[in-house]
Amino acid sequence: MQNTNSGLVHFKSGFKNFKRWETVLAFILLFEFTIFSLASDKFTFSRMLLSINDIISILIISLFVTFVMVTGGIDIQAGSIVGLTSIIIGVAWQDAGMNIWGAVIVAVIVAALCGALSGFFVSYCGVQPMVVTLGGSFLYAGIALLISRASATESYKGISGFPESFTKISSFKLFDVIPNQLIIFLVLIVICYFLLHKTKYGRRVFLVGVNQRAAEFSGINSRLITLSTYVLSGIGASIAGIVLTAYLGTAKSDLGITFTLPIITAVVLGGTLSTGGKGSIMGTALAALVIGILRFGLPLSFGISTQYLDIPVGILLLTVIIGRSLAGNPRASMLFNKFFSKQKEAN
Amino acid sequence: MKKIIPFLLSVAMILSFASCKKTTEKPDADKDKGTSIKDKSVVFVPKLTGNAFFESANDGAQKYSKKWGFTVDYQGSPNAAVTDQVQVINNAVASGADAICISSVDATGLDTALKQAIAKGMSVVTWDSDVSSDARSLMVSQGTPEILGKMLVDMGVDALKNRGVDVKTEAVKYAWHYSQATVADQNSWQVAGEKYIKETYPKWVNVAPSNYYSEQDAEKAVSIGSSILEANKDIDLIICNDSTALPGQCKAAQNKGLTKEDITITGFASPMSIKDYCTAGVIERWGLWDCGIQGAIGCYLAAYLSAGNSVKVGDKIDIPDIGEVEIMPNDVLVPGATTAAKNSGVVLLPERVVFTKDNMNNYNF
Repeated sequence: MQNTNSGLVHFKSGFKNFKRWETVLAFILLFEFTIFSLASDKFTFSRMLLSINDIISILIISLFVTFVMVTGGIDIQAGSIVGLTSIIIGVAWQDAGMNIWGAVIVAVIVAALCGALSGFFVSYCGVQPMVVTLGGSFLYAGIALLISRASATESYKGISGFPESFTKISSFKLFDVIPNQLIIFLVLIVICYFLLHKTKYGRRVFLVGVNQRAAEFSGINSRLITLSTYVLSGIGASIAGIVLTAYLGTAKSDLGITFTLPIITAVVLGGTLSTGGKGSIMGTALAALVIGILRFGLPLSFGISTQYLDIPVGILLLTVIIGRSLAGNPRASMLFNKFFSKQKEAN
Repeated sequence: MKKIIPFLLSVAMILSFASCKKTTEKPDADKDKGTSIKDKSVVFVPKLTGNAFFESANDGAQKYSKKWGFTVDYQGSPNAAVTDQVQVINNAVASGADAICISSVDATGLDTALKQAIAKGMSVVTWDSDVSSDARSLMVSQGTPEILGKMLVDMGVDALKNRGVDVKTEAVKYAWHYSQATVADQNSWQVAGEKYIKETYPKWVNVAPSNYYSEQDAEKAVSIGSSILEANKDIDLIICNDSTALPGQCKAAQNKGLTKEDITITGFASPMSIKDYCTAGVIERWGLWDCGIQGAIGCYLAAYLSAGNSVKVGDKIDIPDIGEVEIMPNDVLVPGATTAAKNSGVVLLPERVVFTKDNMNNYNF
């Protein structure tokens, strides 16, 4: 009797730890690895590194979109800023004759300004973030197409022939194994982690998400904070745009149009509340990896056709979100406890 | 700190998995080199899935590959996007397939990924829509831009004549409606067709010189189609050189109660997808090539090259059940393009078909 009791206590505290969302995600990640590796010997780490380019943009952008969603906003324009960044780099370098790095800086600045414009409408004009960034996604994709028309290269061809120093961003491998993209991703995780979880700025971002009015009363310029998160996500999208352009070797205006939903999925799956006030960089990073590896492993290990990959991602998201809200629901946990106390009585 | 620990743990686990996996991995490059295409695996990639054109190309590829004894694996994304196609290519490389046969959504964006695939020992063949000529071996083309651009305009001219329009002297108002400004093949036909119109029918007026685009989106094709009709009440001819734009444009005209006596719509699409509109009298003639044959030829050549065969310009390859094809230099498609001495070139499909109500029921795609 004594034994089972202490066992239950142990289980309960274990359950509490288990509730830490990042741990759950890490377990899911581990589970995926085990299943995929057992199912097929084609699923290897070296092959996965080759495919990192397919998910790197989503990994990078979702880190920055976490900031926006922690304030209670949403950003569905990041995908179109990827294309805008790409085409600006191409046109500024090829047609305006700029140095490639100058072109990159121009692109980042424009992306930040795009973020700032949407952020301004959200925070200072009080328009719903969903509506503003939906408009932004059309506006910036349209501007990108317009800029591509200004180039001597027809827009359907894409601007290519970038100098090697630029394409190195995505082709360089540390020790000939670790792709540069992975290093960029890890560095960005560290930067975002410290910015959101270790600085005064990060605490303000959280406070704005929890209660904007309370944040105002405690002397925080909540509007400026909200605006700044959109600037950050714009910059994040531009970094993804740079990496993607360097990898493809082609600047195109329509890169990134399909990224919106995977980005939002990664952030939400990472434990960020869509109502704001709660979220973590580690959670987002792990969730983005969970999705990326799912999309990589399913076709490889189980021969699932790539056109159906949205289905398992959708199922994963729904299961996890519903499971989490059940776990957070006091009535559900009461039922859970009752179930276990009944078992104890039976013993 | 507590949040970092699970992350580091999982990274550690990933790495440990990686290390034990490495030992079991076999070198991929040493595939048996022979001349038999039997048991080869070809990954067949469309621009997007769920489109009648690409699905029927896949049907053709599957049908013939069964006869020839190799497998064709149809892999694609529902979105026509560069990044999605790159992912499909990378997955194909990782899965250890022998060859890729792909219709590219972008003229250069897949080059890096395809070159990587070639470096891993895969054969790369393109069909329908090309990439840079150094990123693939062969291209199975439906025709040169001049052939197809002229065909589009001529189909319109024939239908206009049947409506009683004097195409030589009247200022025919026309517009182009296709997928997007960023896709290679359709834009090259549009440019060639436009040039042909300027030379042959100088009186014609293009009411929308920047064209209409519906991004291979079936619903958008209908809404763009109706806005063309709204914005240009007196338009005579709409050329839809895209297999999604054409049915959408027909639907829009049908919704508005227009028939082939009021407006001429023509373009490229499969016979099945337009049949109902033709029966309803909305459209008179449209065209295409047999995409099933095109897909099959592409897959055959991909398997043929991966079996260790090499080809050069001028070679004639006999494809069982289909016929003989000739390897032509790359500059028949893109002027000035160079052709490597070995395993590089273009294969032209032997024929293209114009569909009317008389022959549309003879095809099953």
